[in-house]
Amino acid sequence: MPEDAEPEWRSAMVDLSGMSLAALTDLTEDDDSALAQAVRRLADDLARPGEPIAGFNSAL
Amino acid sequence: MDRLSLSDAAYAALGAGRPDAATLAHLRRAALSRHLLLLREIVRAAPDEAGPWYARLCAEERTAPEQTRARLADPLFGAWAAHRLRALRHGGPRPAQTTEPHKTDGRHAARAPKDARRLSVEHDGLTLRVRLDDTDPRRALLGLVPADRLTAAETAHWQTCLTAAWRLLVERHRPDARILAAVLELVVPVRPDPSARGISATSADAYGAVAMSAPADGTALAVGLLHEAQHSVLNAVTALFDLVGAPAVPDYSPWRDDPRPPSGLLHGAYAYLAVTRFWRAEAAATGDPLAAFEFARWREAVAGTADRLRAGGALTAAGARFVDALRAEVGTWLDEPVEPRVARLAGHANADHRLRWRLRNRAVDPGDAAALAAAWRRGARPPRVESRLVPSPRRALENSARLDLMHHSLRGDTGPVTVHRPGGRASAGDAALLGGDHGTALSAYQKGIVAEPADDAAWTGLALVADRLDRLEVVVAGYRALGARPDPLEFASWISG
Repeated sequence: MPEDAEPEWRSAMVDLSGMSLAALTDLTEDDDSALAQAVRRLADDLARPGEPIAGFNSAL
Repeated sequence: MDRLSLSDAAYAALGAGRPDAATLAHLRRAALSRHLLLLREIVRAAPDEAGPWYARLCAEERTAPEQTRARLADPLFGAWAAHRLRALRHGGPRPAQTTEPHKTDGRHAARAPKDARRLSVEHDGLTLRVRLDDTDPRRALLGLVPADRLTAAETAHWQTCLTAAWRLLVERHRPDARILAAVLELVVPVRPDPSARGISATSADAYGAVAMSAPADGTALAVGLLHEAQHSVLNAVTALFDLVGAPAVPDYSPWRDDPRPPSGLLHGAYAYLAVTRFWRAEAAATGDPLAAFEFARWREAVAGTADRLRAGGALTAAGARFVDALRAEVGTWLDEPVEPRVARLAGHANADHRLRWRLRNRAVDPGDAAALAAAWRRGARPPRVESRLVPSPRRALENSARLDLMHHSLRGDTGPVTVHRPGGRASAGDAALLGGDHGTALSAYQKGIVAEPADDAAWTGLALVADRLDRLEVVVAGYRALGARPDPLEFASWISG
């Protein structure tokens, strides 16, 4: 749990939803920046072997 | 640059499976942000390959910003981008049609209203709009084998089922209908699995997309979509927060016949939280024993799995908060009354699954089984023997003739039992078990084992009625090593001391 007075869950992902594509590739990242952390987290996600969540028998 | 964050109240509501509209909009922004980050990393990883099409994409955004943004937000764009970046970084298949989103999207996403089928259903003020996509080659990235192009009759079946499903959801499950309308964008029809009656899947890379075989009816589609939307929401949550931290040790899952890591157990519990809520409301509205059975069965499975996740120590702080909220939600349903016969059968179904899971996934070394047999012949005390987990090479769906029989009984069917399982048949023991005649059932299972010690169904039946649920795989391995065929219950009692 974060130690803020008002509990909040801060993710590793940055909000890029309002950013233009032209600006997207101009972004620079410092080692400790939120963007750099998001990139590292994404790399970790992709490196993990994944599988679709399958197998629901929906009919009785 | 802002990090995406959630208040504790919003996060707990997510864990309870009751996110509000603002939280769902937040998850959609998170999914788009992930797509854009993937896109940026693709361009950085392969500038020569990606540069030209990315420049065209930027030009398109200047002239048609909303359409371009919609293409980038599409679940299949997310699936493609993750697939492409994995291939660039870790190697792997590189099909020509998926190396360039510009071309791919130009053919399939931008023209989606023409090439794919747009289904829209409205009931009592709520509307669900989905794309039924049977053409986009990227749909194979969702993990199941896509169906061929739908015929007119097949499309009509989907429309009929969706109309019925939406009416049911809006009338009896309105909060869940709102969530579904905010999450679901795309349904990809897939080929049926011969070992299952209905199959569906989501991809962690495609928020809002569901791959699903043709539903049997509106109810099957309704509960299937609720189930898969939960997976999609949890995928979005896990893209934001690490929920599981410790190394993945596979364990028992009430929903699968193969061992699952903690992340898989969490997915199952979260998906079945919505399924449990669905059947709870259905049972209350209709009094249907089958709905009550599903409710009774899954509330115990969800609660038990949440408890094991919390006790297992693999969850992070975010994972623990999420699971606590999930557990609190299902906990309010555990004491709700269910008709005793239905509750008994639900308990048997869960115990039966766990027993079959142990026989399937836990092995006893042949030397240990021989030592047990030798001790029995000598009249000595049994040596302590432990089984070990044998990871399954592939996913396995629940498969039980006994469960088919329970469904048959709960439906009130009086005709001959038809069991749709390879080799499945309704035994005399099972018939007695369902009727509550444990004496007759026990005798039938004993005779069945003596006649055929390899009959796993007889062993699990014996364990159910004799209430000997501990280490059945050790009992079975020792018995089969005997060579003789004594009373199996006596042998089981000898081992358990």
